[in-house]
Amino acid sequence: MTTTTIPGSPTNGSGPPVLAIRDLHKSFGKLEVLKGISLEMREGQVSVLIGASGSGKSTLMRCVNRLETPTQGTVRFRDTEIGPANLTRVRREIGFVFQRFNLFPHLTALENVTLAPRCVLGAPAEQAEREARELLEQVHLSAKADNYPAELSGGQQQRVAIARALALRPALLMFDEPTSALDPELVGEVLEVMRDLAAEGRTMLIATHEMGFAREVASHVMFLHLGQILEEGPPDQIFESPREARTREFLARVLGP
Amino acid sequence: MFPVLLAALLLLAGGGVARAENALEQVRERGELVIGTDATYPPFESKVGGRLEGFDIDLGNQIGKELGVKVRWVNSAWDGIFPALRTGKFDLVMSGVTITDERKQNLLFSRPYFLSGQTLARRRGDRRIGSADDLPGKIVCVQQETTGQTAAEKRGLPPESIRKFETLPEALLAVRNRQGDVAVGDLPALRDLIRKGYPELEVIGGVFVQENVGIVADPRSGDLIRGVDAALQRILDDGRYGRMYALWLGEPLPAADVARLNGLAAVGGGGVDSGSAFTIRWDLLQNALPLLLRGAVTTLYITGLTLLIGTPLGLLVALARLSGFRPLSTAAAFYVEVIRGTPLLLQIFVIYFVLPAVGISLPAFVAAVLALTLNAAAYIGEIFRAGIQSIDTGQMEAARALGMDYGAAMRWVILPQTVRRVLPPLTNEAVALLKDSSLVSVIALTELTRVGRELSTNSGSPITIYLAVAVLYLAMTLPLTYLVRRLEDRWQPISRPRAKAVAAKP
Ligand SMILES: Nc1ncnc2c1ncn2[C@@H]1O[C@H](COP(=O)(O)OP(=O)(O)OP(=O)(O)O)[C@@H](O)[C@H]1O
Ligand SMILES: [Mg+2]
Repeated sequence: MTTTTIPGSPTNGSGPPVLAIRDLHKSFGKLEVLKGISLEMREGQVSVLIGASGSGKSTLMRCVNRLETPTQGTVRFRDTEIGPANLTRVRREIGFVFQRFNLFPHLTALENVTLAPRCVLGAPAEQAEREARELLEQVHLSAKADNYPAELSGGQQQRVAIARALALRPALLMFDEPTSALDPELVGEVLEVMRDLAAEGRTMLIATHEMGFAREVASHVMFLHLGQILEEGPPDQIFESPREARTREFLARVLGP
Repeated sequence: MFPVLLAALLLLAGGGVARAENALEQVRERGELVIGTDATYPPFESKVGGRLEGFDIDLGNQIGKELGVKVRWVNSAWDGIFPALRTGKFDLVMSGVTITDERKQNLLFSRPYFLSGQTLARRRGDRRIGSADDLPGKIVCVQQETTGQTAAEKRGLPPESIRKFETLPEALLAVRNRQGDVAVGDLPALRDLIRKGYPELEVIGGVFVQENVGIVADPRSGDLIRGVDAALQRILDDGRYGRMYALWLGEPLPAADVARLNGLAAVGGGGVDSGSAFTIRWDLLQNALPLLLRGAVTTLYITGLTLLIGTPLGLLVALARLSGFRPLSTAAAFYVEVIRGTPLLLQIFVIYFVLPAVGISLPAFVAAVLALTLNAAAYIGEIFRAGIQSIDTGQMEAARALGMDYGAAMRWVILPQTVRRVLPPLTNEAVALLKDSSLVSVIALTELTRVGRELSTNSGSPITIYLAVAVLYLAMTLPLTYLVRRLEDRWQPISRPRAKAVAAKP
């Protein structure tokens, strides 16, 4: 990482641009889910997407690495506009962590992490394994390297999934509600890992319902409402003094009385 | 358990026509004489416009008239015709049956009613074959379990050069398609068939084996055969025989024939009662077992080869069907529907008998494996497709999100999981295939079922042979099922945790 960061504190993300989305639209049939989204992320920036269920958070992230094809608009990753031609190459540089982990059940935790380096980058087995063990160490799972996903708890699985996403040394990490599928007592261990990553100065785009966590790690918060970014700004401003009535309503609902 | 059940079924199925020393009396009481025939043998018997006709049919009806009963004809496949007679499905068999010593061991013959003999048919102008002396080194096509086969075998030809077909027309078709060199069969039958439908073939030389044709009954129907003999004598004497001969053979009855037939009256008979067809005879197995085992090896070989080629082919079919490229997926879907919508038997026939029409003439073994492979690939393709589609879409997304292209995602993520999931249905398919492979016997491959049917024809105890065949099939299918259960157990960690998942932090 080239950016200098103050460990433990949110970075303000003043590095070179990593992601630039312009006027992104996405429809499923007649249903327009994204209605013109534009946003920019700079290196080291941690952006958090909040918004009600169905507001389009997942769709937005999936449009970035084209698990969904946008109906209209452009997505630039560093210097390249993402399109079918450069897709596989760009995806290697964007780590994606799914709500439901999506670990490969026929592979051990270690093999889950080494698979992409080995068959996408052609890394030698030994090197891939050494690096995978370091990554598992980083997510506190060295002891589980040889276990299959079915033998791991949800929190452990999600941490393996994070290690897997890190294995290709991505320039951008996306998390789509990484703790929503977890039992409450397992949420903490995953957030802890993500906190460490933020502190390292990683560039991260996170969709989450964990408001406390969002406020703590975000350098920038975006409130998504009905497919549009209704309000955005630094976390303090969004959480302390939201300008929009919709934002206030949403926060009141998720934070409770 | 299963063999017991089979035996019980066979016993029940035996309750057709009565079988006792007073067979003639029972036929008269019933007012009906049941005669079995394989109507693929003009001019003796054939089916024309839904009706049976021919020399045998006319003669049989006249015999019925002499006995004062109606005749009911049952059209039956040749290689099951004697077991059916022995188990009481008919009173008599009239199907141009040649009287031989071997057949007389288990069957009872009337006096000869027709003078015949074996002759050869070749492609027109094929000068390599001029007489029976030219048979060695040629592919000889016969109808299985006929005296044509015996005549070929008596010439000392190696078994693999004799192709045995279910019907004589199929044997001729094979010669015409250059899948064989020469056909051996009864002179009148060969001449008639060639005249009507095989202008490319010709009969050569005269009769090289003299034969007498008789009517067949179960060994215990002595009185019935005596009645038949008496009826034949009257039909010969009063000129009816001569008229039928002229009508069906297309030439006048040779003057000497009646006298010769009368002189041969003692040639019939036979039929030492070797006990009921339902008795299990272990002594038979000694001779039968090596042959049955060789048939089983052929069955395994064909099945194994088919699976070996059909499985990867099926995978390709599945990938094509799932492909986003429309023409490819449509073509694959069409292929699957055509194969699944038509009988395997028909597919075998098309590949062996019809492809030669467009210049592709395949040896029986290649045709059999090809037909089975094309068939299996369609079913295996559907199994793979269902398996691939049953994998959670998140798996493909996770692989693609890691920058793997479609091929790599399939190879490393989707297919390894699919294989484990499709293993049980694939084994079912393998077991089904092993059993379906018996259908290739129609194109003259001697696999297990075929060997069993051949042996049962002349054995006198079909049940012994069929039981042995059933046991051999089970011996092949049961280990297969067992093996897969073992494999499934070994791959269990994927479907179920070895131990209860640990929820605590490490
Ligand atoms: N493949 C699809 N086909 C049709 N509609 C879809 C599809 N995927 C998402 N949608 C619709 O798009 C809308 C936005 O969905 P999306 O998953 O992006 O919301 P979200 O903000 O991530 O919600 P959540 O917090 O529940 O995850 C929803 O109305 C959803 O039903
Ligand atoms: Mg979502």
